Amino acid sequence: MDAEPGLSEQYRMASPWPLFIALGVPIAELGILFGLFPLSVGGLLLFGGSVAGMATESSYARTPWRAMVVVAIPLAALGLGFIYTSINLPDRGFAIIAAAVILVAGGLAGSLFAQDTEEPTY
Amino acid sequence: MEVNGQLALTVLMGILLVAVAAWIARVENWRSYSPIAGGGGYGQQDSYVSEEKPSGIIRWLTTVDHKDIGILYGAYGLTAFTVGGLMVVLMRVELFDPGMSLISNTFYNSLLTSHGITMLFLFGTPILAAFSNYLVPLLIGADDMAFPRINAIAFWLLPPAALLIWAGFFPLPDVLPAQTAWTMYTPLSAGVGAGNQANAGVDLMLLGLHLSGVSATMGAINFIATIFTERGDEVSWANLDIFSWTILTQSGLILFAFPLLGSALVMLLFDRNFGTTFFSGEGGAILWQHLFWFFGHPEVYILVLPPMGIVSYVIPRFSGRRLFGFKFVVYSTLAIGVLSFGVWAHHMFATGIDPRLRASFMAVSLAIAIPSAVKTFNWITTMWNGRIRLTTPMLFSVGFVANFIIGGVTGVFLASIPVDLVLHDTYYVVGHFHYVIMGAIGFAVFSGLYYWFPLYTDRMYQKTLAKAHFWLTMVGTNLTFFAMILLGYGGMPRRYATYLPQFATMHQLATVGALLLLAGQVIFVWNFVQSWLEGPKVEDGDPWNLRESGLYTAEWDWYDKKQQTAIADGGEESDETALTDGGQPEGDADDRDDA
Amino acid sequence: MANKIFDRDTLLDLTVNMVPLFIMAFFIVAFAVVTPFGVDPLASSLQFGLVAVPFVLLAILTYFAGRAVAGSEMTGELYLPGQAGVEGAKPLGEDGELMNQFDEDEEPEAAVEGEADTDDAASEDEA
Ligand code: HEM
Ligand SMILES: [Cu+2]
Repeated sequence: MDAEPGLSEQYRMASPWPLFIALGVPIAELGILFGLFPLSVGGLLLFGGSVAGMATESSYARTPWRAMVVVAIPLAALGLGFIYTSINLPDRGFAIIAAAVILVAGGLAGSLFAQDTEEPTY
Repeated sequence: MEVNGQLALTVLMGILLVAVAAWIARVENWRSYSPIAGGGGYGQQDSYVSEEKPSGIIRWLTTVDHKDIGILYGAYGLTAFTVGGLMVVLMRVELFDPGMSLISNTFYNSLLTSHGITMLFLFGTPILAAFSNYLVPLLIGADDMAFPRINAIAFWLLPPAALLIWAGFFPLPDVLPAQTAWTMYTPLSAGVGAGNQANAGVDLMLLGLHLSGVSATMGAINFIATIFTERGDEVSWANLDIFSWTILTQSGLILFAFPLLGSALVMLLFDRNFGTTFFSGEGGAILWQHLFWFFGHPEVYILVLPPMGIVSYVIPRFSGRRLFGFKFVVYSTLAIGVLSFGVWAHHMFATGIDPRLRASFMAVSLAIAIPSAVKTFNWITTMWNGRIRLTTPMLFSVGFVANFIIGGVTGVFLASIPVDLVLHDTYYVVGHFHYVIMGAIGFAVFSGLYYWFPLYTDRMYQKTLAKAHFWLTMVGTNLTFFAMILLGYGGMPRRYATYLPQFATMHQLATVGALLLLAGQVIFVWNFVQSWLEGPKVEDGDPWNLRESGLYTAEWDWYDKKQQTAIADGGEESDETALTDGGQPEGDADDRDDA
Repeated sequence: MANKIFDRDTLLDLTVNMVPLFIMAFFIVAFAVVTPFGVDPLASSLQFGLVAVPFVLLAILTYFAGRAVAGSEMTGELYLPGQAGVEGAKPLGEDGELMNQFDEDEEPEAAVEGEADTDDAASEDEA
């Protein structure tokens, strides 16, 4: 244990991202299960954006923009899997890929236009 | 119509995303203005301070502090306990007379399903995470969990999980509550047949369960990483406390069990929605049972190991001596962890699986009874000739031991194939596992909640109310579940809303017991909430007088230091007392029966 | 080398897991001797595997756990469980016996604690 109990409280003890990562997952799952395109895309965006935000915050990434692109890669792979493997659920696959594309677009736009890295992700 | 719906959803989703973005922008902004100035220096206290700021609720939504997250888990678990408890009160009242009187049979089935799932997944696992989140870092001398943000994600997955699991009860069009029972046996749960189990309510419940599993797995990874890598220098494996040992083992079990449940649930969802036939073909029903119980039996030990840790922790403190055979308890915990994966088909003795396999599962089930029995002997020996102080936490721990003996012995009987073939699917099984789950796990949870009450509230509970809570719970538990064991001997099958008149007396006794339990829990909630808000402040870092017997431990040491920092810091302290109702600063060591 | 770590005391501690191991070994032998349901290549090998695998896993885990615990007993200081992080806690002696637990002189608040204790006792009117 700490010699001074106050010490551990000094690093940043709050983060807005976990809540939204956790919210994005069920929204996306609902959308994908019931074939609701907007929910799938929106949920994945919420999830992906928040993951990128959190990665930046905990300094795994320097800016959220590149992180968004990185998150998009496994999503795109998953979407392709839904379309081309025996899972064979193209509608869902397209929704996932759409989310990935938007994330990439957001990442590109961000790295081109947002110079101020202090800005929040969205 | 179709298109309009999609459009509406898109607009809604868009609004949500924009709102989230705006909110985050604001929060980030706010934080750069006053970088965690909130509490200044001492842990949990800033939560109270922040109540005066508009950011009070934001603190709870954004916290990654293990202590806050522990409190969130606790609040969540107790809420789920209330919901699940009220559900079963309705069921027990329905069972007061043999016919269908108060609620319909289908509604009974829905409540039955939801009660089980709520208690196991939304109360049991999370409430244990409340203890482990709050205590493990303190006990092992870590600053926080290894991955504080993952920790927060794991918690925040749970509220959506609860909403999905209960969605069937909400007034949604075309959504009915699941009636699959907590075991979700196929083909019923695959939506096959004439019933209404193909409806979306079941899908929502499966999704919710899946989420709760993801949450538990993330938490488990975090605990394993924390206990392996974040221990303080002094805390070697030989010095690790018993509660952390049980959490470590439990996390290992979760890591192997829950992902399997997750996969099985996804397969079931595919069967239900996308026309696969994992569980509907030849042998599909048995396949589900194998997958489910390969998760399901470890799950019962996931639920019982940390409570055993709590009891092993509390009993010595109020017996005035060390835990007898500490290392026996540690090694037998590990043994339970391994063996619990080798017994799953003792839930399937009556399915007609190969008798040779049945025999093997019986063998391992008998072997696993030993480590549990060893612990029981250790607890009793610890108390033997000890300087016993019958405080409320101690009472609940002793109650744990008493009830666990009945629950365990009935379990060993069920593990014997010939006995099980007679008693399977009767109330005997219900009695067995409730003795363990309510009588032991529930009791240990209460024991822990009372024992550490000063630690997380800075206050002391009202001991007379607490004693009333204990006795009502003890009597209620034994009345209810012993009646069920007798019902099982009489041949009363489980999971029915109605029954033959010959069972009426025992059912009525069980219902009376359940109402006693209800009364006890009402007292508990009152005591808990009122004492938290207005109870006498604890200013002593050693509210249980553990130093006297040399049994003082790290979490109280942390608390003691926190207290002293608080006193040193006058400014914050005045904020604090302003919130109290002029409560007299007073340490309450509960009563002591040392003769 | 293993012998050093697995001394008498440690082995005694580990007996707790020998019992379930023994039970499983007993059944393995029993299944080999008594075969009321006949012998079938697949079913019988599953039958033995289902007991043998837990047996082996438990033996391995017991070995490693014993090594980790007994090993760190030899290298580091020993405290009562849960007490290692407590400031002023005294390590256990060689034989695992409790030495003078809290040195009163080193605890500045010891006197205050004592007072608080009597207060507590006084507030016990019930009971
Ligand atoms: C230690 C904590 C324990 C918990 C939490 C627990 C929980 C449960 C639960 C929930 C069930 C019912 C499952 C269902 O059908 O819905 C059950 C059944 C059973 N338990 Fe336990 N149990 C525990 C200990 C034991 C022990 C020590 C044994 C024996 C070694 C045992 C043997 C059995 C057997 C054989 C059944 C199946 C009975 C049947 O369905 O016919 N249990 N237990
Ligand atoms: Cu079991």
